[in-house]
Order: sequence, then structure tokens, then C-alpha cells
Amino acid sequence: MELYEMTAAELSRMMQAGKCSAEEAARSVLGRIDQVEDKVGAYVTVTGETALEKAREVDGKRAKGEKLSPLAGVPIAVKDNICTRNVLTTCSSKMLYNFVPPYNATVMDKLSDLVVVGKANMDEFAMGSSCETSYFHKTANPHGLDYVPGGSSGGSAAAVAAGEAPLALGSDTGGSIRLPASFCGVVGLKPTYGSVSRYGLVAFASSLDQIGPFGRSVEDVAMLYSAICGKDPMDATSADRAYPDFAAALCGDVQGLRIGLPREYFGKGVEEETRRAVMDAVKVLEKKGACVKEISLPSTDYALSAYYMISSAEASSNLARFDGVKYGFRAEGCEGLTELYERTRSEGFGDEVKRRIMLGTFVLSSGFYDAYYKRGKQLQQQIAAEFSAAFEGCDVIATPTSPTTAFRMGENLGDPLKMYAADICTVTVNIAGLPGLSIPCGTGANGLPLGLQLIGPKFAEQTLLNTARAYEIETGGFRAIPEIH
Amino acid sequence: MKIDIQHIAKLARLSIPEEKAPMFERQMEEIVAMCENMPEITADFDPVDPAHPMALRRDEIAPSFSREDILRNAPQSQAGCVVVPRTVE
Repeated sequence: MELYEMTAAELSRMMQAGKCSAEEAARSVLGRIDQVEDKVGAYVTVTGETALEKAREVDGKRAKGEKLSPLAGVPIAVKDNICTRNVLTTCSSKMLYNFVPPYNATVMDKLSDLVVVGKANMDEFAMGSSCETSYFHKTANPHGLDYVPGGSSGGSAAAVAAGEAPLALGSDTGGSIRLPASFCGVVGLKPTYGSVSRYGLVAFASSLDQIGPFGRSVEDVAMLYSAICGKDPMDATSADRAYPDFAAALCGDVQGLRIGLPREYFGKGVEEETRRAVMDAVKVLEKKGACVKEISLPSTDYALSAYYMISSAEASSNLARFDGVKYGFRAEGCEGLTELYERTRSEGFGDEVKRRIMLGTFVLSSGFYDAYYKRGKQLQQQIAAEFSAAFEGCDVIATPTSPTTAFRMGENLGDPLKMYAADICTVTVNIAGLPGLSIPCGTGANGLPLGLQLIGPKFAEQTLLNTARAYEIETGGFRAIPEIH
Repeated sequence: MKIDIQHIAKLARLSIPEEKAPMFERQMEEIVAMCENMPEITADFDPVDPAHPMALRRDEIAPSFSREDILRNAPQSQAGCVVVPRTVE
């Protein structure tokens, strides 16, 4: 077995036992990137040289007996909307094609002894469900190269699935970690809103955005989540509370766990094979002592609408900063400021980003605010209240992560509503600020992975991870890295 | 709902070429039509989560960025300032 095939926890243990060095791990992962990246396209930027430098630095510190974090020396991919000091951070947009942040996102400071091997491709400004709206190139699903990896954190998920990194960071505004995790057959966690600092995450919809981990095992995701969560004075929305060591507390015990199955997530639009795979996974947990009950979350049907009202409104405001003045792309030869703004934004943004900005501008504009944006916000409160009521009768809610397996490249690209429907099972979790975890639960008829989504009350990540761990133990672990030809 | 795409684009400081306007118009109208299914809710919304009130940090002086670091990303700079087209005659 090659080092790039190991999980982060295995690499961490080997490094601590002196069985491999961080440099060897980095070289193995960079070798794998050389081997498959022209087919997968998971990265916008591969940072080979600085990765090896960092790996040698960690090895040196370890040799001297200096204190290191549990994941020290483990290679990681970072979504390209998370600011990395002195490393290009593009959001996969022409608008930021040349942006080199002078600062680190808080999560990057927290992961300062991990080895960043590259910046992962994404849908432009994290707006999309397929990774196809990247300005640079498309990313392929490692399990079927004609298929999308899901989005918007498609590069992060594909890198982990393909063995191009054991760990990755993504961000999730409406499903952007969980959907690609499901499509690529890896584990992905969207943490509770406020548990991970957003400082240095290029904002899309600030009240919904959250950074989270990807891995090929539940333990890896628990370890990475433990490393990034916590209060940050640089993010006023980050919660002030104590967090356990999620990996240390990980157990596969679901005895007495109450699992709710919301009927609205198993109805129209959900493929029969998806429904069956999720129900089979729930049966595995039932066999281990969990009890299952049907529940109802009646406002689910309106969740996509509320999501597009709120997220687009916030996006139109957040993306107003891209004007060609202080950083990023600037259109050439403009006379006057207005022309500079309009031409920079028109040439710098892709169509999906323009669509969302205009949708947000529309719902916030005079005469439409009450009918659209305000109704979206009221619905948000109602959806959150329905989840709270449901959690009085259950500990975890289980649903499909996506109604289907990955779709073919180009299939949904011209039809925004069809593309948006991929997020139908995930957006409610962001709207209510809850944690959501996607784990692989079998494959569809096309051989592509399916995902089980576990949703919990705020700050119940440990319960989600333990439930996932129970399933992982019982099923003998998740799929190996596919062969890529 | 009929959407005046050129008006919205102007508000958003975007310019949409004539040949693309019908596509954007149709797609936005479809999205807005989907959103019209939202039910009327009378309850007002509370913009701040009472279980999780935000607190501003203290306004304390701390090391910040150097001018050079910030200007390194500027498309055009001169004498320590960002250069933009003339705005005042």
C-alpha cells in the first residue's frame, strides 16, 4: 500500500512512530497528483515546492521533540476560496485570477503544521453543484470521469477520493461539502453555523457559509474538525463554547439512538435506488441498537425557494466589493469609475455568478423586498422551528444527501433550476444552522457512490460522527481509491 | 413576474450584452416563479439568534498589514495609493 492511500489518522500514527516522514508522505501524494491530475483536475494550484519545504520543517521539529498537532505533517487540499498567505486564492474566478492574500484564514493558522499540497477547484465563488462553473477547468468525478464531482467543493472531494490528498477543507453554503462528498464517495461534514471561524473565507452568503472537513474515514473528519473549530475574535459569529476532542471521543455505539426519517426527503424526485440505499444504511444502524421513527418536516418543499432568496441577497451584497479597484481583475482602458465597475464585473464574473447577483439585487430592490426576501427569512425561522420540534423526539435525522448519483458533465449546465434541485436535501441544514454529515452508503446502478446524510441539533457533531462510525465499522469501511485511467 | 433584466443589471453594476439578455431574463423569471410558491407567514423574523447573540470584540490597536502588502494586489498603484480613473474634474 502506498502512503497516498493511507488515511490521515494512519499517516499521523506512522509519523509519530517514526515509520514514515512528512516528506515521504508529501512526495507520495505529489506523485499521485502527477499521475492522475490531468484526468481529475482537482486543483487550481498545486503547491509542490512549499509542501515539501513545510514537510521537512515538520520532520525537523519532530526530530527535535517539539510539540506538534495530531495531524502535523499530513498533506491537505484547501478549497480555493479559503485565503492562504502568499498562495494564489482565486475562488475559481477570473475576478481573482491573480489574488495572492497577504493573510491566512483563521483555519489555515490553526492548521499551520499540516502540509498544504494545493488549492482545490470549485464552482466560481462557490455558486454551483457540479464544479463546472470554474473559470479555469472542470473537475472530473474520480469514480467516473464523464461525471461531475458535485459542487461547489468538487475539487476538494475529488482530491480526497482520487488519493490526491488524504484530507481537504471545503465550504458549505447550501450543500457544497455534502453533495460532492456524496458524489465522490467520501466523508464530508458541514459543521454547525458558528463552530468554525469564517475569517478568511471569501464570503458568499455570510449567514449560511461554513468551512468543513473532507476525509476517507469518519475518524479523519473528526480529527480535522477538532483542529479547526473554536471561537475566533476575528469572526463575530463564531460561537464561544468548549469543544471535545471529537476523534478521541469517537465510538461506534448507537444503542438507544433515536433516528428520525422525514418523509418529505424520500418522496418525489428521489431515485428508488437512493431511497433503498439510505433505508439499508438505516437498517444497519437499527441492527446495532438504534430505533427508527418516521417524522415530518412540512416546510421542506419551500426550502429551495427560501435558500435562493437568502443566499442570493447576501451574495449580491458580498460580491459588491469586486470592483477592480484594490485587488483582483481590472478591465483595461476604462474611462470613469462607473465604466470601470461595470466592465470589470461584467468581464470578471461568469454567468452563474451574474445570475445570483442579479437575483439578489432583484429580491432586495424596492417593492420586492417584502414579497421575496422577507418571506424567505420568515420561512427560514419556520424551518428551524420544525427541526427543533423534530429533535425533541429524535437524536439524529437520516436522509439521502442527494436524490441521485452524480450526473453527467454538461447535463444540467444550461438549466439552473435542474442544477439547483441537486441541493434539495441539503439546503435546509444551512437554513437552520445545523450540522450535517454525508457518508458513503453504497452505489447506484451506474457504479457511482450514493450518500447518507445525518443531521443533528446544533453542536451535536459528536452524535453524527459516532453514528457514522457505527455504520463504518459495521460495513467494513468505505470504498478504496478507484483506479483512474 | 416580468423581470427587466437591464434595470436589475444596472443596479448591480453589471452590463448584460443584448444577445444574452433573453437567456438571463427567462432563467431569472423561472427562478422567481419557483420562489413564488413560498407561503405567507405572518410571524416576524428575529434577525439575531437569541441563543447565540454576537458580541463585538474590543476595539484595540494591534499589528495590521503594511501598505506594501496591501498594494501588492492593487491593479495599479502610485506613491502608496491605488490609482483609479479620474472621478472629479
